[in-house]
Amino acid sequence: MSRSLGLGVVMAGGVALALTSRPVAAWISEPLQQQTEFRMSLIGPGTQPRLGLPDFTVDPGDTELADASRTLVEVLWKDLDFEKEYYLIPRTSSASIPIVTDPKSLPFDRWKELGADYVIVGVVHRLSGNLDIEFRMVGIKDENAGKEMFSWHYGGSGCAVKNVRFCAHYISDDFHKKTRGLEGVARTKLAFASDRDASRMTGRPIQNAGQGKEIYISDYDGANQLPVTANRNLNVAPVWSPDGRDLAYTSWVSGFMDIYVRSLYDARPPSRPAGVDNNVENNLAAWSPDGTKLALASTRGGDWDIWVVNRDGTGLHNITNYPHATDNAPVWSPTGAQIAFTSDRTGSNQIYVIGADGVGLRQITFGCQGCDRPTWSPLNVIAYTAGAGPGHDIYALDLASNKTIQVTDGQGSNESPTFAPNGRHIAFVTTRWGKEQIAIIGINGRKETLQRVTDAGNNRYPNWSRTPGGQ
Amino acid sequence: MLRLRFVLLPLAALVIAAGCGGKKPPVTQPTTQVPAPSPFPGAGGGASGGSTGSTERPPAPPPVPDSGSVSADPLAGKTPEEINSNSPLKPVFFAFDSDELDDTARQALNQDAQVLKTYGTWMIAIEGHCDERGTAEYNLALGDRRALAARNYLISLGIGGNRIRTVSYGKEFPFDPGHTEASWAKNRRAQFMVTSK
Repeated sequence: MSRSLGLGVVMAGGVALALTSRPVAAWISEPLQQQTEFRMSLIGPGTQPRLGLPDFTVDPGDTELADASRTLVEVLWKDLDFEKEYYLIPRTSSASIPIVTDPKSLPFDRWKELGADYVIVGVVHRLSGNLDIEFRMVGIKDENAGKEMFSWHYGGSGCAVKNVRFCAHYISDDFHKKTRGLEGVARTKLAFASDRDASRMTGRPIQNAGQGKEIYISDYDGANQLPVTANRNLNVAPVWSPDGRDLAYTSWVSGFMDIYVRSLYDARPPSRPAGVDNNVENNLAAWSPDGTKLALASTRGGDWDIWVVNRDGTGLHNITNYPHATDNAPVWSPTGAQIAFTSDRTGSNQIYVIGADGVGLRQITFGCQGCDRPTWSPLNVIAYTAGAGPGHDIYALDLASNKTIQVTDGQGSNESPTFAPNGRHIAFVTTRWGKEQIAIIGINGRKETLQRVTDAGNNRYPNWSRTPGGQ
Repeated sequence: MLRLRFVLLPLAALVIAAGCGGKKPPVTQPTTQVPAPSPFPGAGGGASGGSTGSTERPPAPPPVPDSGSVSADPLAGKTPEEINSNSPLKPVFFAFDSDELDDTARQALNQDAQVLKTYGTWMIAIEGHCDERGTAEYNLALGDRRALAARNYLISLGIGGNRIRTVSYGKEFPFDPGHTEASWAKNRRAQFMVTSK
């Protein structure tokens, strides 16, 4: 099985721009033993299995390796906890239980006291600059006691001592996939706009000092926050291309609002596929799922409509073409056949769906107040912002059942939802901690799924990448 | 690009004087072709008694205080940036969630039109801004509608559409960072930036 390994983002200092992509290097991920029955037994109905994840054993005397291993385990703990497929036993609770290299010598009684169903036993060796990990999940209870339920071998350049977060994310996704059949999102990324650099836009009078915003990206968990733009201007609404290699975003760098597409992996100047016309404003780009097209809001037709354009700038055309109304905030359906957007054509902003070819318009919210920014998950749920104000909340409409639930709880204002690629979480903007910050919450809105992503400056317009780690 | 526009300007002015300027048919006010003296009899004069500044003016005043005397004009030697920091072009304000020009807004635009006629080479950008209420995305669209409303009105007063570009900043650049109606009222605006002269 060959694996492509997205090495994620490498960027020099604060100086933005071109990321270098490295070729796929020797990634080793191979089974220690095949365990095919296990997956079936876990996926059946029942409560979450309780999983222990203590420190791994490392080569004695190698403190750098020991530190890397501990970070790896801590990141992995959070990654596994994130999806709630397992109940992760807090590491503080298990800290006093001796770690072992041989699964048979696990202190089973101690783990049983903590209610563990399974415990991960990891053994880490150094192989040049990389971690080489034997990773086993061992049964604790009843007929599973002492059984190796899952055994795998991870290593290679994807597990560099200096980049163990990526290694942990990889293991989490692989483990979720193999034991739960779940496409995890631990290697995905977020993009957003931030004013943390406090750069004042040039050419504006002091009494209207424009605080610039730059596009940032980060890992899904908020680690590795890095600037993509550094033009000291206003840049908002980044969206990941489906392959994770490009970002489309809105920038005022020309003095006017236009869509830019920038590659994260080479230094080409950004392209402007929406037409480069300073008498036209283009905003809120959305990639088609196959990456060949962008939908966007544009004033090209005299007022705001939804337009679609090929990513090379050809074939620009108006698909809503509704006069004297503001059509805005497009997003593609998971198959690319339809586009959801907002329109105030009935007087107040409601959400509509139209075929990507411009036919088959239908209204899907009625009487929604302050409706904005739909986002469409692969599970066929449309989440959006709504609220009569002052605050907004995130709502989710399940298109299959036509049921709507409120996802956020009314604390602060909650806006601009974006789905994780597996549809299980939503990243959004919230003011619940004061300034505007990016947060993530489970689609069920449960409090324990809420986590904060950013804390520097104000951060807005989140977008969740579609694929793990690029490439 | 800018240079080209600059060269074309006098021509554009002629076109306007001759009849309809702009690319699109003006929406609101019928254009009076008289160049300088009080070209808007019914625009803001009669209807709004409420606002202050309007009463001090007799029916047909000279358009702008220091118009005509371009040689002694303090603005003549200034850069666009300097002009923008204390602009003779007054912003116009809007009601919540609205892009409609009320009488006060029309009066301000009438004066702005005079300034733009006096300084016939100025190119401007009209910025549409919003208060902090409502989502960021919604306000980016609303800001453009406000700027467009101001642009259309200026065109109806005879200002060449090719001199006026619009840009929305949504709620990104509040004039007043406060969170009360007093602040919001100042932030719901279309304001003018001279981009070249």
